[in-house]
Amino acid sequence: MDFRLGVVLSNYPPLLEGVLLTLWAAAVALTIGVALGALGCAVRLSGRPLLDRVVRGYVLFFRTTPEMVLIFWGYFCVPYLFQLKVSGFWTGSIVLGLVAAAYFTEIFRAGVQAVPRGQIEGTLALGLRRYPRWRFVILPQALRLMVPPLVNYFTELLKNTTLLSSIGVAELALQAYLLGGQTYRYVEFLSAIALVYFAIIFPLSMASRRLERRAGSH
Amino acid sequence: MDWSILTGFDFAVIWRYLPALLTGLWTNVLLTGLGFVAGGVVLGTVLAIANFSPYRIVRWPVVVFVEFWRSTPLLVQAIWMHFAFPVMSGLQTTPFQSALLALVFNVAAYCSEIIRAGILGVPRGQFEAARALGLSRPVTWYKVVLPQAVKIIVPPLIGTVISIFKATAILSVLAINDLLRASSRLSSYTFKPLEIYTTAALLAFVCGLLLTIAGHRLERYFRRSEGG
Repeated sequence: MDFRLGVVLSNYPPLLEGVLLTLWAAAVALTIGVALGALGCAVRLSGRPLLDRVVRGYVLFFRTTPEMVLIFWGYFCVPYLFQLKVSGFWTGSIVLGLVAAAYFTEIFRAGVQAVPRGQIEGTLALGLRRYPRWRFVILPQALRLMVPPLVNYFTELLKNTTLLSSIGVAELALQAYLLGGQTYRYVEFLSAIALVYFAIIFPLSMASRRLERRAGSH
Repeated sequence: MDWSILTGFDFAVIWRYLPALLTGLWTNVLLTGLGFVAGGVVLGTVLAIANFSPYRIVRWPVVVFVEFWRSTPLLVQAIWMHFAFPVMSGLQTTPFQSALLALVFNVAAYCSEIIRAGILGVPRGQFEAARALGLSRPVTWYKVVLPQAVKIIVPPLIGTVISIFKATAILSVLAINDLLRASSRLSSYTFKPLEIYTTAALLAFVCGLLLTIAGHRLERYFRRSEGG
């Protein structure tokens, strides 16, 4: 079979748009995930049994239900339920953000709880107030532990942005699929975007692995 | 919010089409099982062992394969398998076969890392002792290393089942008759998207929950049998 790379290069504008939309969706989901995840973590650490139970239910639901099902539900049911018009891009990104929040809640909590108890007792013995306790003692130690799993989940998030293609968002995967259909050059387009995803995701997962090793060596 | 939609929630539609949705869900469960056994256990182990081969010509392709399948999205892998692979190989696959193949490779790449880590957890002295006893390489793997590695590998390997289940929903981009395909067909047939998709989401959640609980049980069973 003949392999024509030229057909991919000459169609670069829609592919580039696809890459940008993919990154934009990942950024939106990451922002929502970090914000809600921090909130969820705060609730879980606050020790209020009722709220804690709500957050745990949230985490369980969003970590157990397939993202694809949630995206379809959001796309077809939210406009119907709330009489709202939301684009596929925003529905998909928000759903991915809500799923990310469930994972981030647990990553943040695990990070804070991994800080040795003696450190917190030390701050109490020193009479530190809440702000310096968190700002100078707990967070610097917890963040170092949180970063590797966070980067790792971000790579999952990048992969999950492809699910938006199923509700018609013209991100990278859908652009390549459509171009492949127009030109009958599926091999070229699909292989090319697989390489693009690899080029974005692989360095991130390598960085995550390296950071994990460094955090473990302390 | 329009409350009349909630009061008009049509349970009869759900009841009528529940069997169709369950049939779809069964496809997801079947794919999860096949993906876990063929990809996670069988191919994953083969890849992990190949990773320890003394020959670079065996090791390098395996490393490239694993890293590539881990760093690309399953959705792209699935459409690549269905639309690009047949052009290259001349083999025509059904959507189900393409979906299963993509899933198996994806899961194998993930699980081979878990299995590799388990093998690394077996003390080096065990390899050396097997060598000193003059055991052949297959016997060393089968009788010495793997039985010890299994104890380390099983808990995280069981943990992947829920991720595999979630991943099977992605495979609905190919025309396989899974839960989501069934839902979108039923929703356009009945004009009741709210009822159909809500039921589908709840079914998927309950099924995932059952898989998680079964996994925890199995994990505990393995831990106990290890202690006894």
